[in-house]
Order: sequence, then C-alpha cells, then structure tokens
Amino acid sequence: MNEAGVLLKLRSVSKSYGATAILHDIDLDVRDGEFITILGPSGSGKTTILRLIGGFTKPSGGEILLDGRDIAAMPINQRPFNTVFQDYALFPHLTVEGNVGYGLAVRGTPRAEIAKRVADALELVQLGPLGKRFPAQLSGGQRQRVALARAIICRPRLILLDEPLAALDVELRRHMQSFLKSIQTEIRTTFLFVTHDQEEAIAMADRICVMNGGRIQQIGSPHEVYYRPSCEFVAKFFGENNLIPGTLGPTDGKTRSIDTAAGRVICAVDGQPDMAAAPEGSPAFAVCRPEAVTIGDDAAGENRFPVSIGQVAFAGASTMATATALDDPGLSLKARMPSRPGGASLRPGDTVTFVVPASTCRLVPA
Amino acid sequence: MRLADRIAPALLVLMTLFVFILLYGPLMVPIVSSFFTVSHGAVDWSQPTTSAYVALAANEGVLNALWTTLVVGSGAVVCSVVLGTGIALYYTSPNAKGRGFLQFIIFLPFLMPPIITGLALLIFFRQVEFERSLVTIIIGHTVFVLALVYRTILTRLQSLSGSLVEASYDLGASRWQTFRLVLLPNLSSAMVGAAVLAFALSFDETMITLLVTGTQSTLPVRLWAMMRLGFTPDINALVALVLLFTTALCLIAVRFLMPKSAVAGSDED
Repeated sequence: MNEAGVLLKLRSVSKSYGATAILHDIDLDVRDGEFITILGPSGSGKTTILRLIGGFTKPSGGEILLDGRDIAAMPINQRPFNTVFQDYALFPHLTVEGNVGYGLAVRGTPRAEIAKRVADALELVQLGPLGKRFPAQLSGGQRQRVALARAIICRPRLILLDEPLAALDVELRRHMQSFLKSIQTEIRTTFLFVTHDQEEAIAMADRICVMNGGRIQQIGSPHEVYYRPSCEFVAKFFGENNLIPGTLGPTDGKTRSIDTAAGRVICAVDGQPDMAAAPEGSPAFAVCRPEAVTIGDDAAGENRFPVSIGQVAFAGASTMATATALDDPGLSLKARMPSRPGGASLRPGDTVTFVVPASTCRLVPA
Repeated sequence: MRLADRIAPALLVLMTLFVFILLYGPLMVPIVSSFFTVSHGAVDWSQPTTSAYVALAANEGVLNALWTTLVVGSGAVVCSVVLGTGIALYYTSPNAKGRGFLQFIIFLPFLMPPIITGLALLIFFRQVEFERSLVTIIIGHTVFVLALVYRTILTRLQSLSGSLVEASYDLGASRWQTFRLVLLPNLSSAMVGAAVLAFALSFDETMITLLVTGTQSTLPVRLWAMMRLGFTPDINALVALVLLFTTALCLIAVRFLMPKSAVAGSDED
C-alpha cells in the first residue's frame, strides 16, 4: 500500500470528446472506508468521474491509481468496484435472486454459496421475502435496494453510486438516504456517490467534492464546504448566502479586512492560506451565512451594517429577513432567525443593525 | 349540420368496408372455389367437395415443392437470424465503423425490385461459377429477408437499456457471458418473431427463386408452373393453403414482437 488510508488516487485526470473538454485536471483522493460525494450541477462532469473510475470510459489524460498502480488499461470486469446505476439496470429476465447473485454466478461461485450470500445480501437490504419476484413487480425503492444488494455482494473495494435516488419521490428519498448511510456503516465499504442535490450531499457524505464546469471547486467536509467555501461558486451553491464584494485590505495572519461599499469588513482567514497571502487590493467577497447574522444594536460582533428591512418571510422553523444596506443601496443582505410563536417583531421599513462576528465571516476570491 | 355530423361517420365506415373488400375480397375467390369442381370452363356451384385437396395430397410434384420450400425457408431463417443478430450487435457496439453504409447495404435487396436482386445474384453466381442449386436459393432468400430480421432484432436491442450491458461487465461478466446471460434472453422473443416473419417471406418468395434455382422448385414456383397449364381446382387449393399458412405465421410473429406488458414474468413459488 502507498499512503495509509488512500484507496484510489486521481492525478491530473482529464477527459474530452473531440474538441469538447468535459473534465480538466482532476486531482482527487478517495480514502478507504469513507462516504465521498461528488456534487455538482448537471454538465459539471461528476458522472464522467464515476464512469472513468468504473472503467466505462477512458481518460484522455492523467492517471487513476489503485494501490499505487495505474488502472487505465484494466477492463471493467476486472476492477474491484461495483456500480449502482441511475436507472438501476436490473436484468429484466432474472428474478431478484438471479440479479443479486449474477456477480457471483459469472465468477463460477458454487451454487450453495451463491444461495447463502444472496439470502444474506437480501436480508441486509431488507428484501428477504421478495427473492422470487421479477424487477417489473417491484416498486422504485425496492428496485433500488436490489441494485444495492447486487453491487455489494461481490464485496467490492469501492461502490460507485450514480444519482441512485434521483428517480424516487421526496419522502422515499429521505428514507433511502439514511438507509444507504446505515448500510455503508455496516459493511464498512467505500462509497462514491454522485448527486446534484446539495441537501442529499450534506446529509450523507463524510466529504463532499464540489464540481463545476469540469473542475473541482472544493473538497471538504459538509461543514467546511457550507461554512468555509473556497470560491464564489461554492459560496452560492449551498442555499442562501450573503456575498459582499470589495477589495482586500491588510491582514494580521488570523483575520483580514476587506473594503466594501458598506464599509470595512473583518473576516477570519485561518485555514485559508491563499486568502491570507493574496495581494492587497485584489477583488474578493466577504461571505457570511444568514444564520450567522444577529439583529440589534446591542449584539456583539466586529462587523455592523445599518440596514433597512425590505421583506420578512416566514419559513416554518426560521424566518428570513431581507434588507438593504443604508451605506450601499445596491447591497442586499439576509438574516435568518428562529421563528417565534408570537410572530416576527420586524416590519418592512424598520431600520436596524445587522451584526456579523469576524469569526463567522470568510473571504472568497472574486 | 346535425345531418352531416351523422352522415360523416357512416361514410367513413362504408369507405373502410369498401377498401377491405377490395383488398381481401379477391383472396376469398380461390379459397371458396377450391371447394368446388370446374367443368367446361365454368365452376359447378352445386356440390362442395374437398376433392381438390385430396388430389393435391397425391401430387408428387407439389409435395416435393413443399419439401424444398420448407428446407429453403429453414435454411434462410437460420442464416438470416445468425447474420442479423451479429450485424445488429455490431451496429450497437460503441466502436462500430461505417454504420450508415452497412445499414444501406442490408436494406438494398429488400427495397429493390426482386427481379433486380435476383438478376444480380444470378450474374454473380455465373461469374464465380457457383452451380445453381438449393444452396443458391437459400442464399437468395437470406439476402432478401436479412433486412427484416436485422431491423427487428436491432429495434429490440436498442430498446434495451445500454446500462444492462455495462452492469453485466461491472459485475465481472466476460463478453461471452454478457451475450449469453443478458443479451440473448432479452433478444430471444424478437429473434423468434423475426424468424417466423422471415419464414413467411421466404415461403411465398417467387421472383428471386425463379432466377437462382437449379432444378428444384419451391411451392410458389410450382404454382407458377401449374398456372401456365390452365387454372384447375388444385391450384385454388394450393393458394388457399399457402394463404392460410402465411397468415398463421404472421399472426404468430406478431405475438412475439408485441411489446411486452408490464409483467415480465410470474411468481414461481
């Protein structure tokens, strides 16, 4: 083994069809036993990464290393990976048992062992009694489980999941998310999960790799990509966010100021060497989540924005206030606060102060 | 207005009926008259009889022709299904080259007048000094029905999700295992349907057969020869039988080629 804990390495991997480049210079480590999610809008190249790893397409450049060896020339059927396809790709002429046992049967596994392992796998995905059914007689969620059982039965080192929940309705999807996660914990196998759904990625992944335009934008824990985005795209990709444009000021190593039309804003830069080292005067955004904003003159925090409230939107557990900065009428800021049974005390037109502590404010390059 | 609303559908029904009678009415004539005798150039309607069929069963020429037809049909079916499946698989493989040209070549003999196909084959066999025999008839029929067989199998192949093949490889299967365990079972009903249709086509193919045959004659060729000697009740009987047989084959083929309903199988326990 090479570096401890790394199962698969992608090094400068690129893919193009003719003159159209799909992936640029992808560097990605998949760690042993983790649940890694590749997240991106459609056309971002996320499925192409999965297909390159699975061997369904060949990279145009770079290398894919398994245990330190390039597997570019390794045929699909010899890779120790199994895939859960977006359309499940269940064999329509085989029963659930036939489907799940297929991977063992083609390897010449003795019948008795196949029967036992199929029964175990069906038990694991809670489909025990449905072994004799055909795929056409199953519901979407059940087919999903058959596809999963079929992928895990050969004990692969990595399971590739290509948007497997996309076809399910919201309720079933939530259920399957926690189900998949619990299976992954139980069998301790590495999962590489491709999705375009931010909530799904945050709910399931140990690490998220955010893609856009064929490039990796950021790799990190769900908490990191949500609260410490490394670029404008990631900052805007996960739900509502405040982005305040400005130019970089001086830094003391831990924090850095940025001059904006709404005044000087102090942001934390710990763990962001790039932003700490960027030359003064370069354009950037100060970024802070609406839930990090507190309202009121007496709240503590370095950054204070006098604003005029424009809209107060009740959204169940939380209420979102949208306001315009008094110092910069072009800047719209959002604050999320817990809803109160008595209703919000803010009214449109009120003038208040939005307070943001420097520790919750980050910088991304513009 | 009201009147026109009521008359229009009635007119449509009448028109449809008329077209049906025009198309299928003439077919009834030989079938009906095969049950009556002809004397002095006129049909004797007084007494239905199956004597024409009895005479047919004793006619050695007709029986030989029937045997030839069955051999030729079976041969052409086997050749065209094997070739058609192979070409359809090649056509859908990701690295296939010259797809358009291949398709054009296969469809050509089916779309061209049979006399052109037959003549081309005849000239070809002459040039390469291939003696005309049962084999040349089988080759001729294969060339003719290949387009239909190929198209039928290709349509089924294209309706299968491409990820089925990928899933099979992904689970460790070899190319041959993927063909035998995944593709073949999903193609088999299309192959049977195509085979039955191909047999029906081969069964009444006349023009190409006439040109490429050696001494053998198939049923339609025999019929052709018999008609030159005058129209007799056994010709009617033969026509009736050929019609019945090909219609039955087409009905069987339709059953196999109909899209499968939602239920792909049933509980076995």
